[in-house]
Amino acid sequence: MILLRARRTLSAALGLLGLAALAHGLAAQQAPDPARRGFELERRGNYGDAVGAYRDALKKKPNDAAALFGLERSLIALDRPADILPDARAAIAASPGTGAFYGVALRAWAASGRPDSVRAVAQQWAAVDSTDETPYREWGAAALARHDRDEARKAYQTARDRLHRPDALAGELAMVLSEEHDWAGAVREWSTAVAKVSGYRSTAVRALSPAPEEDRSKILRDFGKQTAPTARWLEADLRAQWGDPLGGYQVLSANLPNDRGRAVEAISGFLDQVRDQTGPEPRRAQGLALAALADRTPGPGGSQLRLEAAQAFADAGDQAAAKRLLGGMATAIDLTSGAGATLVGVLVKEGKVEDAQRKLEQLKPGLVSEDWMALRRTVAWGWVRAGKLDRADSMIVADSSVEGLAMAGQLRLFHGDLDSAAILLKLAGPFAGTRDEATARTATLAMLQPIQADTLPALGAGLLAVERGDTARGVQQLEKVADGLPVDAGGAEIRLYAGRLAQSAGRTADAERLLRSAAVPDAKTTAPAAELALAQLLLDSGRAKEATEVLEQMILGFPESALVPQARRLLDQARGAVPQT
Amino acid sequence: MRRRDFVGQALGVMAAIGPARRLLAFPRAAGWLLVPMDDAQSDHLKAYGLTYRAVQRGIRAEWLLNYRNGSFLIPADQATPRDAALAGISVQPLDDGAVLQIRAEIQAGNMDAIPLEKAPKVAVYVPPNAPPWDDAVTMVLNYAGIEFEKIWDPEVLRDGLKKYDWLHLHHEDFTGQYSKFYLNYAGAPWLLDMVKQNTAMARTLGFASVPEEKKGVARAIAAYVERGGFLFAMCTATETLDLALAGQGVDIATDYADRTPMDPNASAKMHWELALAFQNAKLELNPSVPVFSDIDGHQVNSLDRRQPLGSFTLFNFSAKIDPVATMLVQNHRQVIPDFYGLTTSFTRRTLKPSVTILADEPGAPWVKYIHGERGQGTWTFFGGHDPEDPQHQIGDPPTDLSLHPHSPGYRLILNNVLFPAAKKKELKT
Repeated sequence: MILLRARRTLSAALGLLGLAALAHGLAAQQAPDPARRGFELERRGNYGDAVGAYRDALKKKPNDAAALFGLERSLIALDRPADILPDARAAIAASPGTGAFYGVALRAWAASGRPDSVRAVAQQWAAVDSTDETPYREWGAAALARHDRDEARKAYQTARDRLHRPDALAGELAMVLSEEHDWAGAVREWSTAVAKVSGYRSTAVRALSPAPEEDRSKILRDFGKQTAPTARWLEADLRAQWGDPLGGYQVLSANLPNDRGRAVEAISGFLDQVRDQTGPEPRRAQGLALAALADRTPGPGGSQLRLEAAQAFADAGDQAAAKRLLGGMATAIDLTSGAGATLVGVLVKEGKVEDAQRKLEQLKPGLVSEDWMALRRTVAWGWVRAGKLDRADSMIVADSSVEGLAMAGQLRLFHGDLDSAAILLKLAGPFAGTRDEATARTATLAMLQPIQADTLPALGAGLLAVERGDTARGVQQLEKVADGLPVDAGGAEIRLYAGRLAQSAGRTADAERLLRSAAVPDAKTTAPAAELALAQLLLDSGRAKEATEVLEQMILGFPESALVPQARRLLDQARGAVPQT
Repeated sequence: MRRRDFVGQALGVMAAIGPARRLLAFPRAAGWLLVPMDDAQSDHLKAYGLTYRAVQRGIRAEWLLNYRNGSFLIPADQATPRDAALAGISVQPLDDGAVLQIRAEIQAGNMDAIPLEKAPKVAVYVPPNAPPWDDAVTMVLNYAGIEFEKIWDPEVLRDGLKKYDWLHLHHEDFTGQYSKFYLNYAGAPWLLDMVKQNTAMARTLGFASVPEEKKGVARAIAAYVERGGFLFAMCTATETLDLALAGQGVDIATDYADRTPMDPNASAKMHWELALAFQNAKLELNPSVPVFSDIDGHQVNSLDRRQPLGSFTLFNFSAKIDPVATMLVQNHRQVIPDFYGLTTSFTRRTLKPSVTILADEPGAPWVKYIHGERGQGTWTFFGGHDPEDPQHQIGDPPTDLSLHPHSPGYRLILNNVLFPAAKKKELKT
């Protein structure tokens, strides 16, 4: 990849050089010349005629760089790259001190499959400037294009010997060694390469990260022996890539330089590796890295990073760390609305709802109305989880947004006021909150629909218990409510709802019992959904045969159900007829 | 007696009986199920599985060629409507009167009713390391619910093919050069595994190299067809099977496969009389270009020769005179978008004159879908890798056929699976 990039860069540079030289030529003489004609023809895609025009220019002046490079571009477009050899030879003869002409010749020999000639031209080219790596890089690139890694290694080693620089072309050599799975060699060369050019770091991670599981600890040990901090940064990146982001951060933080700019570079590189990872450990590693970056970033940028770090810690479940970070920026002047939201959220998650409400009152002057209402709902949920429904009610009393309606509906439900709850939840419709929240709201409405009673406090209490995290008790209470209702007037629907709750809480046995009890023939609208949910549960538990039986029964028993297409798809999965997605 | 003679005789007898007499040959069942295969069908692919399973249960179904795009007629039993309901397949119950009308319509037009009597026993040639979802035929057999068994080189070389009526080959490289990915994918774990497995198998089976062993496998497959087997091949298997057959005694494999360079004059030394479909092809000599010869019209992996995808058109055949070709092209679409494979199409120049072209791209120098006979058996070649993944790349996610239940390309594959069920009847006539 690096080699390809180097080649492309070289080609682009040659192209630019050619155009620059051409522009100079154009300025010097007004009359149309063959090189200019060639360029026009090439620009229009008429490569055949462009070749003729460029050759006319080279007849007059064999070392006309613009014409030679134009000729090379045109011949490549015509898939005749080797045809340039006589012109390249003539250019070299006319200007033996111009290295770029050797490059043209080298690429032409490579295209004609003549490795001996490639090597010879590279050595002639190297003699022009005894400090230049380019001839060896091109020689190696030509070898790699033929998948001849031995020859490429030879090119790079020759460069080191002739240039007397043991670090020459380390990136190129490292790439070859990585492809050959010579991990010890690759560690050594990548360490050298990143010490010299830190931009190699991400390439090195990409090249090393596919290493097989069994070789990884050895690679990390080899990096551990390196003294250069840049090598240890690479080790940190690889640890993060291989599932140990916290271990990676430890290595990184132990090898951060005092120089602020270099440290920021090191941390940012690590963050690039962990940014897309999810889960508590990666989020904690992101929090640590963001906090370290915040410490080295002055002004509003630092506050923003600190806020992101706090959010990462909060997501990782480390509310204490999140609060500590936010405490450092707790004056009202420092707090942006985002920081305020994070702080209030952290306090609510910690169960300090009173503190959260107080903090929210302090923040009010700096918050726009929408953020203010959103935070009040956050606090309201805190009160719900604390079991204080009246306090929650008081938080959203003036909230007429769709999110407010959705929350008010939920609160009425917890009170057992089913009639008002259904009206409010319908009003909120699919517009409030995330897609998952909207789906959950629809499921709640489906549960309420067949129930005849306007109020059912026991149902509200059961749902509240679930919301407060006591799923076992909540499910038990819901089942008891269902027992007191006819199956076709809410009994089956509540069991289905409770079964889904039990399933999401990992209580598979309870879930299966509830779903089976919901799938009764008398509950014609509930039974297909219960059977589908039961089949999914059985399939997830590795009981494909039983799932198949349930699905067949559902499809044949309820052919008019809107869930039949979904059941058929699940049946295909249970039978292994479609790939698992 | 050759297959064509049997077909001819069968058709002669049927024509002599006439429509009324032919009707008498069927039981006067209380009812029938029509499985429409035009746009009224809700799952074209599963409809083949439904018919296959009915035939497997001993029911004598019929394939109504060119009637509503190749519909099936199945005497109603208890299991078939249940099966259709579970799979979401459209079926229409018919009484004897309605069936009589259909038969009259069939008799009057370019249509025919072909009895399907015995569900063919299907084998799919799959190397042990093949990903389960990387073969269009395996995928569609799974989706349609048609049983099959997997076989590989040991079974083929130890006469295991005689147990099966139908054999499918997909992207196997019978030249033994690992699809010529050896250089471009050097170091890739799946390739290392493929090389290891094939080398070990060649050694176990007593061959000097993988290319030699694959030539042996190709010979055994050709002998299977000769004895009356049905062969259906897609993608690289089409081209490389013929190269391996014609390359007997010629070094057509590059040095990484057998430690000796390819014979630079291999093209001139090929024994095309041994091949099934192709002749006079020029072999690709460059070991790093994943192209085998100029049989393939599209040359997908050759940057300077690669041709863009168009669409291919199915030919129309006379159902009563040429039922075999008619069966193979039954479809609800006549023009189908093309799709790449390592071998995408077959250049007209390299086709043997005896080959029947089933589909081509009008005006292009290549065809897509071909059929022919060898001894008592038949072969069908279909270019391309996956009809619903036109640009298929290594590592692409598998195709989920529940998202393509009407795929006309996949229908062509399933025509081939049911076609042997029809032939058994003809052989008995």
